[in-house]
Amino acid sequence: MIRPSGLIAPFPKTPRAGMPMIRRCCATMGRVLLIGLVVGGAMALLCDPAFAAPQEADPDYRTLPFISSRVAIWIIAELHLMFAAFVLAVPMFALIIEYIGYKTGDKRFDQLAYDFTKLLSVSFSFTATLGALLTFGLIVLYPALTKYLVKIFSWTFLPYVLLFFFEAVFLYAYYYGWGKFSPRVHLFLGLMLNIVGTAIMFIANAWLTFMNTPSGIDELGNLTSIWDAINNYIWMPINIHRLIANMAFGGAIGAAYGAYKFLGARTLEEKAHYDWMGYIGNFIAICALLPLPFAGYWLGVEIYAYDQSLGITLMGGTFSWLFIIQAVLIGNLFLAANYYLWLSMGRIAGAERYRKFIKYLLAVITLCFIVWATPHSLVATVEEARAMGGSHHPILNVLGVMSAKNTAVNLLILTTYVSFLLYRRANKDATVSWAKTGNLVQFGIFAVVVIFVVFLGVYGYFVDAQTRIGLSQPQVFSVLFAMVAVTVIDIFLFRGAKKRGDIAWGKIPARAQYALFFLAITFAWLMGLMGYVRAGMRQHWHVYGVVRDTSVDAFTPTLGFAGLVVSITVIIFFLFIAVVFFLSGLSSQKNWVASPKRTRRWFRRAKPADELDAGTLSSDAS
Amino acid sequence: MKHALSIFGFTILVSAFYWYVSLWVPQKRTEPPEDIAISQDLTTDEMVAIGEEIVAGKGTCLTCHTMGDHSTTLRFPDLDNIGAVAATRVEGQDDVAYLAESMYDPNAYVVPGFVAGMPLVARPPIALTDDEILTVIAYLQSLGGTPTVTMATTLEGQGQSVAAEQAAPVAAGGNRDAETLFTTYLCNTCHSLDGSPLAGPSLQGVGGRLSQAEIYESILDPDATIAEGFAAATGTMGTLLNAVGFSEQVSAQELQSLVEYLSGL
Repeated sequence: MIRPSGLIAPFPKTPRAGMPMIRRCCATMGRVLLIGLVVGGAMALLCDPAFAAPQEADPDYRTLPFISSRVAIWIIAELHLMFAAFVLAVPMFALIIEYIGYKTGDKRFDQLAYDFTKLLSVSFSFTATLGALLTFGLIVLYPALTKYLVKIFSWTFLPYVLLFFFEAVFLYAYYYGWGKFSPRVHLFLGLMLNIVGTAIMFIANAWLTFMNTPSGIDELGNLTSIWDAINNYIWMPINIHRLIANMAFGGAIGAAYGAYKFLGARTLEEKAHYDWMGYIGNFIAICALLPLPFAGYWLGVEIYAYDQSLGITLMGGTFSWLFIIQAVLIGNLFLAANYYLWLSMGRIAGAERYRKFIKYLLAVITLCFIVWATPHSLVATVEEARAMGGSHHPILNVLGVMSAKNTAVNLLILTTYVSFLLYRRANKDATVSWAKTGNLVQFGIFAVVVIFVVFLGVYGYFVDAQTRIGLSQPQVFSVLFAMVAVTVIDIFLFRGAKKRGDIAWGKIPARAQYALFFLAITFAWLMGLMGYVRAGMRQHWHVYGVVRDTSVDAFTPTLGFAGLVVSITVIIFFLFIAVVFFLSGLSSQKNWVASPKRTRRWFRRAKPADELDAGTLSSDAS
Repeated sequence: MKHALSIFGFTILVSAFYWYVSLWVPQKRTEPPEDIAISQDLTTDEMVAIGEEIVAGKGTCLTCHTMGDHSTTLRFPDLDNIGAVAATRVEGQDDVAYLAESMYDPNAYVVPGFVAGMPLVARPPIALTDDEILTVIAYLQSLGGTPTVTMATTLEGQGQSVAAEQAAPVAAGGNRDAETLFTTYLCNTCHSLDGSPLAGPSLQGVGGRLSQAEIYESILDPDATIAEGFAAATGTMGTLLNAVGFSEQVSAQELQSLVEYLSGL
């Protein structure tokens, strides 16, 4: 499915040896040392007894001159998180792609994995620098909170720093060692990079999840068990949610890189390569996006299990309107992903026969999107509220509840899956004897699951709260079942299939590349928004129920203000990413040489001096 | 360069669009709850008024409960008319006892059709004081009934409140050293430091016998584990600590320094 069988020409050459090996190693070690010094310095400062036991006169908070401390930390933390997500995700799918290349012997996969990995080096430096900035920011602006967290988690700092050091070593060995080691050794380096990176994320997740659902402490906030503090209620759900979300985010940024290179490509083979890269990145992003709501559901369950009022603050109280914004974002993600797939079908011979279905898919997606984004209560004037008999719209109110929304999300996921399925079989005709039966069974599974999901959605209106909440699980599992069952059948159905034609990579309109940018920006915005709600649901607590926020920023800001901060963060992130793209692209540029024209000009300008020198020399000589 | 600029412009456009979307929804800034001064000579009307304020604010009751919503999709019982129905919920419990239990031990009885899950409002993060809970009960009684509770009413469960600022190490200040604490809270009247027997076990070498977590537990819940030979003294330490106002006065840092001091013995 992801193999570029119709590639028009060989991939463009990517010179890897712009710099001699020894110089690159020195440069790398210098970077590792610099990053190590920054992170180690921050950690050492945190562990310093003088810091751990500040004087009584130490303030709980400090302020900045032009920006509130909270907004400064918010932006830095979110930028750090975005880069960290990218740096952790890329090695995951680079390793998988490299492995596919190794097993199939297809060098193009190896090249693609290397193209993705090229983005890592600079991104890693950004991540570490932003992480150090965040640490220093917390120490300076929130000394009392930082001191408390240090007291709880001091035991985790040493393994964190060590793992960070190993991550730097594995990352640079994986990148610079491309083609220098045997494939198995190189794959092993990639595997270690992933394991170490994941372990780092798990440790950092313990710190932040503790702030939401603190455990392992007594009522006065004193540590009783470090393991319980780490393994708090939402630690593992966040770990899993972030692993999947990182893949989606990393895939989207990788796709955006492909789109950026595609737009600037000058040759057909370059376009073909970067078109393929964009497609793979998008494929990874959407594959990871599909199970993400289920991981989010588990996270939500654990938040409710820890404290019902915390869960209700999140979903039904202060932040309930945030989930309308989230619905708009995710609806846009699905729309853009499907749009890109439909445009992509234009490069596949034989896809025309499926084009007639697109309008129906679009109708279902739009309908689900509208239902999902329907609020339970409406913002209305007094007259409007009187006319409606309250803040609930007499008709739309029915669509604003979880029964309708869960149904819409599940159908949205299924519809996107159908788009993938059509793309997958666009240029193939099944030749197996049971082809007709197979298609019928697939259709039957879809039909039964859709009816089942809709039935449960409607049934939810007629049962009590406890039963209704339980209905979302069979909805989710039936959709998962449909996707797995239909995929398995499809694999066997199209084994040895007759091809109608090849995929003409590179033959795709520029607007498809903008769909990829749109996806990347929307993913980043969504990440910023959900990062805000994860922290925001604590409201006036730094550590929920333990350390109260007594600063001037203890209030929960409006969603409009939060939206502004997220937008600014996303724009800064993409400015930084532009730098990453630019610097990563330098490695494939030709070495600088003075052009003959420039050389001639220089000689002309330099002539009088040369003549003078020559004259001086000749007179001296004489 | 042209592409880079158009992509950057596109990024700004999309980000601005999402910001615009975030402006469509209701804009509400939520302030942290304010502490309300409660005196002991409040009239019933004053108690009801303060109770109403706490229910909507610090108590965060309306995050989950509704007032006058009788639809079938509720997750928690509606509080409209609670003053009338409270006395009928549990056999043998009057309205005050039922409402008090609903707050101090909310999962002891769960209204049929609903799930357990209400937090203990006397504990952080809500951390209502006993006086605040009395005013909340007065307000709830007024919803369909007549308030009978006064500031002098004694409720079962009182005394377990942990003030939020006490649980917040950031806000705690004015630490005293451990040895001063040891005498201030009269620990030395029952526990010697030199091995000599008093009403309680000697604390000589206690750091070798108990971990810091166990010492914490011995102070915060003295009857959880009784030292061998001191069964007769069960309940004494808790009573004494309450008498000297230990839990109301000691800060987190002080408690920690006391534990560290004892673990070093």
